[in-house]
Amino acid sequence: MSDALLIADGVHKTYDMGRSQLHVLRGCSLHVAGGEFVAIMGKSGSGKSTLLHILGALDVPQQGQVLFEGRPVFAPPKQRHFYAHALDVLSGYERRRIALRRRAFGFVFQFYHLLPELNVLENVLVARMVGASTCAWPAQRRPARKDTLAILEHVGLSDRLKHRPAELSGGERQRVAIARALVHKPRILFADEPTGNLDAVAGDELMALLKGLHAVGQTIVMVTHDPGIAARADRVLRLEAGVLREG
Amino acid sequence: MYKLFLTLRYLRKRRIAYFAIAAVMLCTAMVLIVMSVMGGFLDQLKSKARGLLGDIIIDNRSYSGFPLYEEFIADISAWPEVVKATPVLYSYGLLRFYDSPQTNTVRVVGLRLEDAYHVNAFKSSLYYERFYPGTTTLAEQQQPLLGFDLRSPPIDWRDERGEVMGQGPRPALPPPYQEALEQSWAAGVRDTESPETEYTTTMQAANLPPIAGIYGVVPGVGEPALMGEEQPGLIIGRDILAKRLPDGRYQRLWQYPRGCLVSLTLLPASEAGTLDTPVKPLLRYADDSRTGIYEIDSQHVYCDFDLLQKLLHMDTAERVDPETGTVIGTAPARCSQIQIKIREGANPRELARRLERHYHGLASDPRFQDQLSLNDIQLIHFIEGMTWEQSQAHIIAPVEKERQLVTILFGIISLVAAVLVLCILYMIVLQKTRDIGIIKAIGGSSAGVALIFITYGAACGVVGSAVGSLLGYYFVIYINDIQDWLTSLNPAWQVWDRSVYSFDAIPNTVRTGDIVAVVVAAILTSTLGSLAAAWRAGRMEPVEALRYE
Ligand SMILES: Nc1ncnc2c1ncn2[C@@H]1O[C@H](COP(=O)(O)OP(=O)(O)OP(=O)(O)O)[C@@H](O)[C@H]1O
Ligand SMILES: [Mg+2]
Repeated sequence: MSDALLIADGVHKTYDMGRSQLHVLRGCSLHVAGGEFVAIMGKSGSGKSTLLHILGALDVPQQGQVLFEGRPVFAPPKQRHFYAHALDVLSGYERRRIALRRRAFGFVFQFYHLLPELNVLENVLVARMVGASTCAWPAQRRPARKDTLAILEHVGLSDRLKHRPAELSGGERQRVAIARALVHKPRILFADEPTGNLDAVAGDELMALLKGLHAVGQTIVMVTHDPGIAARADRVLRLEAGVLREG
Repeated sequence: MYKLFLTLRYLRKRRIAYFAIAAVMLCTAMVLIVMSVMGGFLDQLKSKARGLLGDIIIDNRSYSGFPLYEEFIADISAWPEVVKATPVLYSYGLLRFYDSPQTNTVRVVGLRLEDAYHVNAFKSSLYYERFYPGTTTLAEQQQPLLGFDLRSPPIDWRDERGEVMGQGPRPALPPPYQEALEQSWAAGVRDTESPETEYTTTMQAANLPPIAGIYGVVPGVGEPALMGEEQPGLIIGRDILAKRLPDGRYQRLWQYPRGCLVSLTLLPASEAGTLDTPVKPLLRYADDSRTGIYEIDSQHVYCDFDLLQKLLHMDTAERVDPETGTVIGTAPARCSQIQIKIREGANPRELARRLERHYHGLASDPRFQDQLSLNDIQLIHFIEGMTWEQSQAHIIAPVEKERQLVTILFGIISLVAAVLVLCILYMIVLQKTRDIGIIKAIGGSSAGVALIFITYGAACGVVGSAVGSLLGYYFVIYINDIQDWLTSLNPAWQVWDRSVYSFDAIPNTVRTGDIVAVVVAAILTSTLGSLAAAWRAGRMEPVEALRYE
C-alpha cells in the first residue's frame, strides 16, 4: 500500500518483570493512510497506550518495525541497545526519531502531561522551542508565538494563557495538550484516550474539535475504550491478545 | 533554546537550588579567604626575610668562613651592577645579661653597621635608632643614664589634671642621646610600639613628650651621665629581651636598660675547622632589632664585624709551622658571608652565578698564591652565590608548602559543595522525571535534556562563586576589624595571636589571580557535580519517564 503514511509491521513488546515476562504486543501490524482518522479500541491493560507510544516513536519495540513515509523509525532490532537512546545524538536512527517527534508527530497523552512550572502559553510554545536552536530562535520566536496564539484560540483557550496547568479544569488541560501536539503542524496526531477523563459534554466538544481537524486533512490515530467515541473515526481497530484486528 | 528557557525557569522555581548556590558560595568564600591570608602571610614573610639580606648572598655554609673577601669586594665594587657589598660573620654563642642568671643560645652576626644600612633594611628594624637617630653604634660606648638638666632653668611640673604643682628640673639624657631625642621629638616621632613606662608620667608632669625605651636613672637629682667602662655595642633580637604582648606591642623590661652590660661566650674556629678555647667578651646593649621573623628576632644578636672576627680568630694571623715553631707566612682574614646590593634591573640569578664564578677564580689567582693554604682553597670552592630567595628558602619554602597544603585541603572540603550540587540536582531530576519525559516526548534530545541540568549546575556555580568571592573579598578586607570585634566580645576568640605570629595584623589583600582561580574552580566543580544528574536525565526513555509515579 504505497499511499500509507505510517506502517507498523509485526510489532512485539515484552515487559521484563524479573522472573516472568509480560508479552503485551504480539505482532501488531497496521497501515494508516494520509488524512485517515483511525481509532484503536481495547480493554484496559490490553496494550493500547504501549502501541501508541511505539507508533509515536516514544517507545522502542523488541521486534518489528514502524515505517513513516516508507522509512524505518527504529534501528534494526540488534542495534536497539539500551544506551543508544542516551547517546542519541550519535546515532542516525535516534536522531531521526527525535526529528519525527519534533516535526512529524504530535502526541496527546492519556494523562495530559503538561509542564507544571509553565503557563498555558509557554506549555504550547515549548513544543516549538525544542525544534529551534538557540541561535535560530530569535528569528522564529514571532511566528512561533503567532502560531501558538492561533492554535490556543482554535481550542478555545485564549482567555487562559497565563494559567498554570494546576489552575485548569481537566477538559482545559486536555485542550492545552492538543494545542501543544498541533502547534508544530504534525503530519500525524496521536491521541491516547483524549476523552477518558472528561464528562459526556466535554468529550463531545473534544470529538468535535478532532473531527474538525480531520475535516481539514489532519491524520489522526486515536486510542479509546469507548465504542461511542470510536464510532466517529473512519476506521476502528481492536487490540486483543496483543494483536490488532480490523472492525 | 528550550534548554536555557527551562533552566532559568527551574532555577527560579526550585527553592532547593538556593542551597546548592549557598554551598558553592560558602566554599568559594572559604577557599578565597584561606588563599588570601596564607598568600599575604607568605608575601610578608618574603619581604621581611629579604630585609636582613642583600639582593645576592655569597656564602659557603661553613663555620670556618672563607678568605679573600676584601679582595673580592674590591674587585666587584668596580662592576656596574654592584651597588655595595659588605662582609658578614656568623657564629654561635651564649648571651647573658650582666647580673642575670638567664642565658640564651644565640646566633651572633658580625656586621659593619654603616654598610648594612646601605645593603639591606636592617636600619629600619632597629628600635632606639628610630627615636635617637645616630646613637646606635657597635663601637665602644658607656651606659647613658637618665638624669636632670640642672644647668638650664627649672620648668613647671604639673599633676594629672594639668595644674602646676611647682617648679622642678628638666629630665634629660646625656649629650648625644638628648640631642637625638629632641631631634626626633621635633620630627614628631613617638613610640607607639611599646606600652607606657614610668617615664611617661614623669615626662608628662614635666610637660615633655615621653622618652622611648628604658634607661638607667642617676641616683637622686643628678645630672644625666655616661656610666661604666667603654665596651663595644651589641644589637639584640627584640624577642630575646622584650616581651611580646597579645596586641603586638613589646613590653621592655626594667632589668634591661639601654647600655647595660651583656656577656657573650663565643667559640672560635680555625681555618682547619677545629674549635679553640671559648672567649667571653663584655658588650653593651646598644639597640634591639625586629625584622618581623620570629626565628630571627628570637635568636640573632649583632656586633661589629671586626670585633667578632678578632674574637673568633678569623682575622689575619701568622701561620706557624707546628713542628719547628717558625712563622711561615700569614693566614688571610675570613668572613662567613658577603651581602651584595645590586642595581635595579640587573638579573640577580645570572649575577649570582657570575659572582660565584669570579670568587672561585680567586682561588687560582696568582696574586694570592702565597697566601692561601689548601684549606683556604677548599673553603673558597664551597662558596655559592645565591639570590636572597634562594638563601631564605628554608624559611619561605615551608610556608609556601603550607599554603599549598591548606589550599588543597580546603579545596577538598569544597568538594562537599560539588557533592551537594550533585545531590540536589539528582533530587530535582528524580522529582522532575515526568517533565523530562514530556520534554523528550515533544522532541527534546538526551543531550539537550542533559544540558539543561549541566547548565543548571554551572549556573549554581556562577551565581554561587560570584556571591562567594564577593563575600570572601570583603571578609578578607575587613578581616582585622572582624577579628577585633570578635576579641572585644570574648578575648578567647582571638584567632590571630599577635604574640605568636610575627605580624601585627592578619594579611588582608586579595589577589585577582586567586579570585579568578577560585571562581573558575567553583564553576568547574559544580558543573562536574551536575554531570551524574545530567547523565541520568539524559538516558531516560521518554515512556519510562512518563510512566514514573
Ligand atoms: N513499564 C512497564 N513495565 C511493566 N509492565 C508494563 C509497563 N508498562 C505497561 N505495562 C503493562 O503493560 C500492559 C499494557 O499497558 P498499557 O498502558 O499499554 O494499557 P492500556 O491498554 O493503555 O490500558 P488503559 O486502557 O487502562 O490505558 C499493562 O498490563 C501494564 O501493566
Ligand atoms: Mg492506556
